[in-house]
Amino acid sequence: MSLFGSTSSFGTGGSGVFGTTTTDSHNPMKDVEVTSPPDDSISCLAFSPPTMPGNFLIAGSWANDVRCWEVQDNGQTVPKAQQMHTGPVLDACWSDDGSKVFTASCDKTAKMWDLNSNQAMQIAQHDGPIKAIHWIKAPNYSCIMTGSWDKTLKFWDTRSPTPMMSLQMPERCYCADVVYPMAVVATAERGLIVYQLENQPSEFRRIDSPLKHQHRCVAIFKDKQNKPTGFALGSIEGRVAIHYINPQNPAKDNFTFKCHRSNGTNTTTPQDIYAVNAIAFHPVHGTLATVGSDGRFSFWDKDARTKLKTSEQLDQPITACCFNNNGNIFAYASSYDWSKGHEYYNPQKKNYIFLRNAAEELKPRNKK
Amino acid sequence: MGRKKKKQLKPWCWYCNRDFDDEKILIQHQKAKHFKCHICHKKLYTGPGLAIHCMQVHKETIDGVPNAIPGRTDIELEIYGMEGIPEKDMEERRRVLEQKNQDTQKRKLNQDDSDEEDDDDEPGSSFQQPVARLPQAGFVPPMTQPGFLPVRGAPGIPPAGYSGIPPMIPGVPPMMPGLPHGQDCPKTSLWLLLTWIGFVFLPPVIHPSVSHRPGITHMPQVPSVNVLTRPAVPAVVTPSAQPDITKPLFPSAGQSQQTVSGSPHTPPSTTSDTPKPTFPAYTQSSAAVASPNADTSTVSKPPSAVTSKAATLTTTSATSKLIHPDEDLSLEELRAQLPRYQCSIRQNTPTAPSVAPAAVLPPQQLPVGNPIPGQFSGPLRGLPGYVPGQMLPFVQAHAGIPPGYQGGPSRPPMGVRPPVMSPGGRY
Repeated sequence: MSLFGSTSSFGTGGSGVFGTTTTDSHNPMKDVEVTSPPDDSISCLAFSPPTMPGNFLIAGSWANDVRCWEVQDNGQTVPKAQQMHTGPVLDACWSDDGSKVFTASCDKTAKMWDLNSNQAMQIAQHDGPIKAIHWIKAPNYSCIMTGSWDKTLKFWDTRSPTPMMSLQMPERCYCADVVYPMAVVATAERGLIVYQLENQPSEFRRIDSPLKHQHRCVAIFKDKQNKPTGFALGSIEGRVAIHYINPQNPAKDNFTFKCHRSNGTNTTTPQDIYAVNAIAFHPVHGTLATVGSDGRFSFWDKDARTKLKTSEQLDQPITACCFNNNGNIFAYASSYDWSKGHEYYNPQKKNYIFLRNAAEELKPRNKK
Repeated sequence: MGRKKKKQLKPWCWYCNRDFDDEKILIQHQKAKHFKCHICHKKLYTGPGLAIHCMQVHKETIDGVPNAIPGRTDIELEIYGMEGIPEKDMEERRRVLEQKNQDTQKRKLNQDDSDEEDDDDEPGSSFQQPVARLPQAGFVPPMTQPGFLPVRGAPGIPPAGYSGIPPMIPGVPPMMPGLPHGQDCPKTSLWLLLTWIGFVFLPPVIHPSVSHRPGITHMPQVPSVNVLTRPAVPAVVTPSAQPDITKPLFPSAGQSQQTVSGSPHTPPSTTSDTPKPTFPAYTQSSAAVASPNADTSTVSKPPSAVTSKAATLTTTSATSKLIHPDEDLSLEELRAQLPRYQCSIRQNTPTAPSVAPAAVLPPQQLPVGNPIPGQFSGPLRGLPGYVPGQMLPFVQAHAGIPPGYQGGPSRPPMGVRPPVMSPGGRY
């Protein structure tokens, strides 16, 4: 019973079905499979905020849809609802009260989906696909931030068709993250801009990229006082940079590390270097997870500068990941990310979203 | 390797400044890393030899020694092991090591027992524990065996070991306050050392004269093992552990306007608003990241490859291959070019784009957006038997509305206004 009416022949529906085939490479970690996954690659995942009881997961996909599931405490996933765009959905986020979901699409629009009424309405318009969408809740204003390939970053009051503010960026927006009062946007050509959101959004600083390759994903982390203090930036070259905004000693505090590469110690064969598709920080521990084109996820402790865990290799790249609001659940999506081009795209191949218990594995490493 | 002096310097590689225990190992390293043909992987003996081989056999010229640090890429210099190194480079190296030695001497005076020489019992035993404690870091054990311990290997190492931390890590206090001296230090520091070295983290501090261990073939940028002992590692850990309570992340909004307009690229002026220390022009990052290229060299000329429009990336090199299409576009941009991902509004002809609410759809479906009364968390199972698929003329969730959408949440089913698509455009 696939509630989304999937026509995929592999759709087994059910609930929490573990890998039933003999070759289990689609789920080597034996994690919980989300039922009725999207029919094309998953571009984004987001869990509901703590203001809402329970855990609800939304996923946007290249099938133009954004789906919502309820994740129950026993691990069962129940499909709840779905909305459509007219183009692939590239990003999605929740409002702070958990009543609305905002979705951004290649159709150059962003929509606000009211979950109570199951209505979606357009709230934003760009001249190019919208790659990043975030909800900003400031003491004196609330708005949606959209970053697009049209090189603009726009801020929208959802009630008005014209943006509250439009900021020009040097290049196309590739990824962004917001933790009030800070926002970070990484663009094409290795651009990196930090915005401050107090009173009104404004550009704070343009940063020389700590990475030498195309930016792919970014995630802000917080300090012990729960204030945003820096960000992790991932590139297509299997590398993540940890960058503090105001470090005491930048040379020491900022660093990069390699990840998502094959042949770690084997130097005879060329090493395969995979893109880092997404980074997510654990809301409680402050440790981070990275997922890559190599089909693995890894957990890291940036303060101890150690790796906590690397998963087995899935048979598809992992395209998105996120933690739920209390850090108990780690969700990751297995689908094709185009890292090997058009030739390796198989529309028939099933896409998955897995849920893993994250309470233990992401505990920071004890430092001496 | 019990000699105190080996030509006054341990064998080191002129091309990448790494230290080795033995000249034989050094030569093996050079052959594998610097004199290896990137086309046929044949190992030559010298730089010029490699150049000649490439020319004669593959008809290709190479302009520099592979995996060499900037300034040391001269292909014409005939260097074999320690022979052929220009005298001034030798002197410079000696000077740097001298400096490190001096600092080490100072430190040795402060220790209760100098156990760096050949006394390998205690540090040896402590060595095993940390390894066992780190099961996750799969490659820690093999890496840490060779020559990591100051006690193993040549006695020449340890003095160089507790080398100049001040020059290595600017701003780090040479001694960690409160760190106990004596027996505890080596264990603690070694374990910390292991944790830090043992993982693929590359601290941005690069110093050309840092001595390297042969074992760390894929992490040459990690500062010398020795540097990270005792003061360094705890000191490194500390700054990040210190919470920055009083310093605001951003200056207040009014000020921030000024700082932003003034100089987005000059950190000193922006940090003048913050009470804490200014941070130096952030060049370490570029230095730090430049050197990884020497080792993993995925992109030969990153800046030029990335900055030109519609450029291609260099995704292949001798040591590594970037799993990414060649074009310098993001994966999403490449994918969105496909016809199947163009906005399907144009395929929506069977069902007219502007439809009455709730009327719309192919028979077996319910419109997704129909105002279904009830709580969101209620029994929505009956919802969309919706047929997905990119090519299907799927129904728009809501009634189409005339272009130029008017805002207002109170409005009944609002749909997507027919998006303005540029046919055949990039998107």
